Amino acid sequence: MGERATSHAVTVEVNGEKVSRIVAARQLLVHFLRDTLGLTGTHIGCDTGNCGACSVIVNGKLVKSCMILAAQTDGATIETVEGLAQDGTLSPLQESFHEHHALQCGYCTPGMLMSATYLLRHNPEPTDEEIRRGIRGNICRCTGYVNIVKAIRAVSRRQATGGHAVTAAAGEEV
Amino acid sequence: MLLEQVEYVRPQSLDEALEILANDDGAAPLAGGQSLTNVLKNRVASVDVLVDISALGDLAGITRTADGGLSIGACVTYDELDRSAEVRQSHWMLGEVAAHIEDQQIRNKGTIGGNCCLSDPTNNLPPILVALDAVMELRSRSGRRSVEAADFFKGYFATALEPGELLVSITVPQMPERSGAGYASLAVGADAKAMVRAAARVTLDRDHATIVDSRVVLARVAHVPTRDAEAEARLNGADATDDAVRAACAGVADGMQPITDVHGSSEYRRQMAKVMARRAVDQAIAAARGGRNGSSAGGN
Repeated sequence: MGERATSHAVTVEVNGEKVSRIVAARQLLVHFLRDTLGLTGTHIGCDTGNCGACSVIVNGKLVKSCMILAAQTDGATIETVEGLAQDGTLSPLQESFHEHHALQCGYCTPGMLMSATYLLRHNPEPTDEEIRRGIRGNICRCTGYVNIVKAIRAVSRRQATGGHAVTAAAGEEV
Repeated sequence: MLLEQVEYVRPQSLDEALEILANDDGAAPLAGGQSLTNVLKNRVASVDVLVDISALGDLAGITRTADGGLSIGACVTYDELDRSAEVRQSHWMLGEVAAHIEDQQIRNKGTIGGNCCLSDPTNNLPPILVALDAVMELRSRSGRRSVEAADFFKGYFATALEPGELLVSITVPQMPERSGAGYASLAVGADAKAMVRAAARVTLDRDHATIVDSRVVLARVAHVPTRDAEAEARLNGADATDDAVRAACAGVADGMQPITDVHGSSEYRRQMAKVMARRAVDQAIAAARGGRNGSSAGGN
């Protein structure tokens, strides 16, 4: 991509599926995911990089998709909340959010799940403080975070006791 | 949000990037984009073409210099600084400051170069870089020059960068033996933007009893990180004891006119600057004694 232009051809792998599109240089990744690809699980909250509802994983890095351009992701591997469940089965983290009532309105949940997925990949047995730091970039206005922390903690413990592999859904070794 | 119409280009080399930046007044380098994207959303700056420098090899990576310092590429992210064994080994506090910037998402994208070039007075890295005597390495189509960090930050969102110039790396010299760094912020909530900050570096004598050299850098007192030369002069030669540090820091910011804004009055900032400076110097002394070239004291 050496030429300067107002639109660019972009090829990315989203949740294991390769897609190619022409994107406007000014298009944010979150709009590419939601409007161009129809993956509306990734939410737009504040649109200023503060709330984390739009968090996705790009090339293994947790990012806020309202803070990058789609054109910047050419060649990238992108994971969104739609990729967590496999064949209709929720990921252990999603199941744990359900079990622990870790959501009320659910608006922040996709971003929370992506941040928690990233956290547990890099730190499979986080302390509560590490969990809280891990979701610092994700704002929830309903729950007060307590049940979200419980849900994440439960999955990490389950894993520590030889239960579900938390990142199996994302296809990466911990 | 829909941005204004803009062009995007991903140059294949540093020279190509410098050529575009030299030829077009409306060209803006795009690194981590964690501030620039919001600037574009708010339409407070008009940009013709975004020059994506984030993948340029010349701006990446952290290397050990021949004299034991660090050369940090401008596009090294906060997360990379935090996790770098090289940084932690020789300049522990620099990694620690990076570890407490905002949140994981921003640390994965935001870069040390962007943090410096934006020159937002609330940014975390400028004061510690000034305290560590860092040098900013600048390139343009016509040449290169080095600017000391203390001279790089010129004002509110203003730096020494000339049009067409790009920050390519930051050199952080090795600290003298028996040195340590400290960093203390007054903020509401961990990892929040600070109202007042202080960064410090001290070097102790052989007995670890006397301070032989020091840096005391205040942030959010003026719009740029500011060395308090008078405080440094009082510290140099002073005993490395609580009482002596407290006495030396009692006059911190007395010769300055701290800013007043919605977060705090000038006088409040002056008082808090004394407290933050003392904490930062205490940390630096502890780190120097610990032989860690940084600090074991956590916090932002």
